[in-house]
Amino acid sequence: MERSERFWNPYVAGVALGLVLLATFLVMGRGLGASGTASRLGVAAVQVVAPAHVESSDWLSQATTGGAHPLDDWLVFEVLGVLLGGIVAAYTAGRLKRGVIKGPRISVGTRLGLATAGGIMMGMAARLARGCTSGQALSGGALLSVGAFVFMFSVFAGAYALAWSMRKAWN
Amino acid sequence: MFPFDELIATQRELGLIAAVALGFAFGFVLERAGFGRANKLAAQFYLHDMTVFKVMFGAIVTASLGLVLFGGLGLADLAAISEAGASYTYLWPMIVGGLLLGVGFIVSGYCPGTSVVASASGNMDGLLTFGGVILGSLLYGELFPLFESFHSSSELGQLFLPDVTGIPGAVIAVGIAGVALAGFFGAEKVERIFSRRRGKDLPPDATGRVGRLAMVSIGVLAVLALGTLALPGSQRETETTEAGTIGQEQLARRILDEPWTVRVLDVRTEAECVEARIPGAECVPLDGLGDLGLAYDESGRDLVLVYSDAGAASGLPEPAAAYPGKVLLLENGFAGWRDFALTKPPVPAADAAEAEREAYSFRSALFGAMTGRPAPPPPKASGKMVPKKKKKRGGGCG
Repeated sequence: MERSERFWNPYVAGVALGLVLLATFLVMGRGLGASGTASRLGVAAVQVVAPAHVESSDWLSQATTGGAHPLDDWLVFEVLGVLLGGIVAAYTAGRLKRGVIKGPRISVGTRLGLATAGGIMMGMAARLARGCTSGQALSGGALLSVGAFVFMFSVFAGAYALAWSMRKAWN
Repeated sequence: MFPFDELIATQRELGLIAAVALGFAFGFVLERAGFGRANKLAAQFYLHDMTVFKVMFGAIVTASLGLVLFGGLGLADLAAISEAGASYTYLWPMIVGGLLLGVGFIVSGYCPGTSVVASASGNMDGLLTFGGVILGSLLYGELFPLFESFHSSSELGQLFLPDVTGIPGAVIAVGIAGVALAGFFGAEKVERIFSRRRGKDLPPDATGRVGRLAMVSIGVLAVLALGTLALPGSQRETETTEAGTIGQEQLARRILDEPWTVRVLDVRTEAECVEARIPGAECVPLDGLGDLGLAYDESGRDLVLVYSDAGAASGLPEPAAAYPGKVLLLENGFAGWRDFALTKPPVPAADAAEAEREAYSFRSALFGAMTGRPAPPPPKASGKMVPKKKKKRGGGCG
């Protein structure tokens, strides 16, 4: 097998991820997350081009409560760490390479369009569900939150339900 | 001990460094698990590579057992972590949001967190997915007025499996670990069947020595977590909310000086309460507590329960325990109040200490205010008295 396809044993990775999550709970008093940062980045971008729009929107102004900068949040720093950790891990594993990952039967353009479309759906979904697979399913699940398990099973259900229709994109 | 008192709030720089460090570890593990690559993630839904399931459940089980263990040993405040770390449960928004996120997952090949890791490893599809997540969040904000009522519908508050099932958290965490371990063995079989059927390479055998070691560590954690049940009173879930107590003088001062910080509920019978009660108290017999919606009172006031005497030996009534703020029992209940505020205070001796004289003047003023009968003025200070120091406490009587 190619070096770039060699990954950690999934059970070891799972325990390691669990220990990182546990450490986050113990040290920070909260769990890991991701989509919240995307939301804040969006608000920050709108604030640059149309600050009045942020103020007038009940939704966007949540990220600027009390005059705070939308990026002034621990989650933003955490995701910055995710980016750095990802770069170091990919580099040291010989996987740091510009490219597009796709199934064999679709074009790069289609793949990039699907990636964007899926991202938009997830961005909306994560706001509705109060978090994504990291902040809601993983962190909430570890705390035995009912909503987290409801969410997690719905994610798997949604993905499996559409997998057959999407098979051309991946296989 | 843990958590370190909201590191972000108290020691900002240190907290942000910790955030980057923990995020780094998160991103590193995700990348090494293969989650920076969409084909690896999407394979979960074609069943020939169930890495997503294995890693995700391995992580949830490890973290929840670890939390049970730390909480059980008294090293971590599980209640505080749960309160800060878990969102409210909104049943329908979470079902719909979950389904939509699952659809987005199979379409894009990533979830929001893994799209960051994919971007980090140079995958443009990951970068565009993350860009899409940003756009989607903004779009949600723009369309929010349309969703507003659905967004906050079927709210169940912070709801945890132990609350719903009545089973201690340790047992649930161990149960989930058991299901996960069984699921791992199932996943190995499913992978074998579907990689053959789809003509895919079987992912490298995960049940080798390191894989077994990881599963054994989960097993050991589970046994230790169960062991915490044997420790007395260490389980968050079996612990009833402990109420503090408030003394008569403390309560009287707060009622006079800062009445907006307390909500006093007189839980004696209606007749008793109507006859005589603490100023500002609401007459709510115990069986009526449930109608007050105490769980939703976000005013931040301390809730003071007044029984006829010490009361509540068997723990707090359920509606009061659900109160999000502090719940206090009035020491000795209304009987104590009667002794303190409705009884003429004994006059202190002429050479009484400053504190005692101060307490007396407060009590006599209180007595006067409560009963309309003036108490005799305190005796004159003797010449030797030290000049009265200005007390910090502002305003009010006394």
